Amino acid sequence: MTVDLTLDVRDLEPPEPLEKVLEALCVLEPGQRIRMIHHREPHPLYPILQREGFRHDTHFTDDGIFEILIWRSPSR
Amino acid sequence: MIPIGLSFQQAPPISVPFRFFLTAPLFLLAAAALLFAQGPDLMASRHSAAALAATHLLTLGFTSMIMCGALLQLLPVLGGVPLAHPVRVAWLVHAPLVAGTICLAMAFMSGHALFFHLALGFLSMAFGCFGLWLVGALRKIREGGASIQGMRAALAALTVTVAFGLILAAARSGGLAIPYVPLSALHPLWGLGGWTTLLILGLAYQLIPMFQLTAHYPVRMTSRLIPALFLLLTGKTLGAFVPGSAGQALSIAASLGLVAGNLWFAAVTWQLLSRRRRKVPDTTLQFWRLGIGLLALSACMALLPELMDDGLPESWLLMLGVCVLPGFILCVIQGMLYKIVPFLTWFHLQSAYPGLGIVPNVRDIHARFHADRQLALLAVAIATLAASSWFPQLARVAGLLWMIHAAWLEINVLQAAHIFRRVHRVARMRTAH
Repeated sequence: MTVDLTLDVRDLEPPEPLEKVLEALCVLEPGQRIRMIHHREPHPLYPILQREGFRHDTHFTDDGIFEILIWRSPSR
Repeated sequence: MIPIGLSFQQAPPISVPFRFFLTAPLFLLAAAALLFAQGPDLMASRHSAAALAATHLLTLGFTSMIMCGALLQLLPVLGGVPLAHPVRVAWLVHAPLVAGTICLAMAFMSGHALFFHLALGFLSMAFGCFGLWLVGALRKIREGGASIQGMRAALAALTVTVAFGLILAAARSGGLAIPYVPLSALHPLWGLGGWTTLLILGLAYQLIPMFQLTAHYPVRMTSRLIPALFLLLTGKTLGAFVPGSAGQALSIAASLGLVAGNLWFAAVTWQLLSRRRRKVPDTTLQFWRLGIGLLALSACMALLPELMDDGLPESWLLMLGVCVLPGFILCVIQGMLYKIVPFLTWFHLQSAYPGLGIVPNVRDIHARFHADRQLALLAVAIATLAASSWFPQLARVAGLLWMIHAAWLEINVLQAAHIFRRVHRVARMRTAH
């Protein structure tokens, strides 16, 4: 699965990162992935992803940023 | 350091913080109306009945009201600890705080002991319930960051403030002989320099980098400043009761430390705000800048009474009080409020109705506040009030400006509540079809 959309939200204040990713989720097709780049872990996003049928994988990189990969759950 | 995220699953219902945020501007309005009605008489002395009533309408009715509401919302979110029975706790704090503030203002104005006794009862209940809840919540948080450390210190300072306040009220209502002069100076010191300032510091460590997109505060500040300020407040208190030159030296040393600590916080905050990553205009940033500027000015002004043997004119001390309370504290609290209120409105709606596309974004909600114009009015209102310390004939003009400011703030919080209710209604109609 390739990354189809990169969202760099490091320079946005809360809750704009959440607003941006929720907008992107609305148009995400099965098989597509979003790569979100954030300077803190977006805890409020996770329950929303779970409820709306998305999966995610979060990495904390050596550069001190969080990379969150998001894709639609195949079962939904 | 891994940045801390917020845990919004733990957030209490929006009605919990909003009841405090909707009530607080009404007390600001009452204080302003009192200033307008009393005019120059109120500005005659910090200890005049009207000045004490107006001050407590501000400190209890506005500042503490918003800080209690904000803590009930933010502590579960920052600490990841759910608030047990949030609506019940909110009731037990909010209702007696409202009643106690009204009774205390009436007690100062009328001098009736009954009102003092009622105020003592209501305020003991409000702060007792709030303190017990806060102690319980803070004990559940294992890893306390600097913000949690600030809340702990603020709670301890609140306890001292309330204890001194209760003793002063008992003495004023008759019967209790106390060392009135030192206590009447230490009560506002712990209230403004302790409970309020320590909480503002703790919250700023978290909220400034997050909402203003700045670098983090230096660790040497976040780990040391709040405990140091608390110790200095304790030193100042001991200095007031130790007789002779030893007590005086301790008091002056503690004051110098407090001034230096507050100036350090002001300088670092100003520097962080000047180097924020996102260079778009933001009115809440200007509320912070004005507040921080007034904190630095107040700290410098507070030095003078310590260094002068003859004492300073009452006008100087009144102006110092204006720079601290309606100046620094109100500016910063309003800067926080204008971030938190649109954010909470949006977040609770978004959590409840994620897929319906009917939730306005935060910028749309904030745009309705016209906060830039309100900031200009606030700056003029502070300047006029400060000037009326020297020229009391300006007091009524200052009162009028503050009344407009308070009403405007109330309308803005009401607008956010109205947006919440409207979207909630539309969403229910849609899901019903």
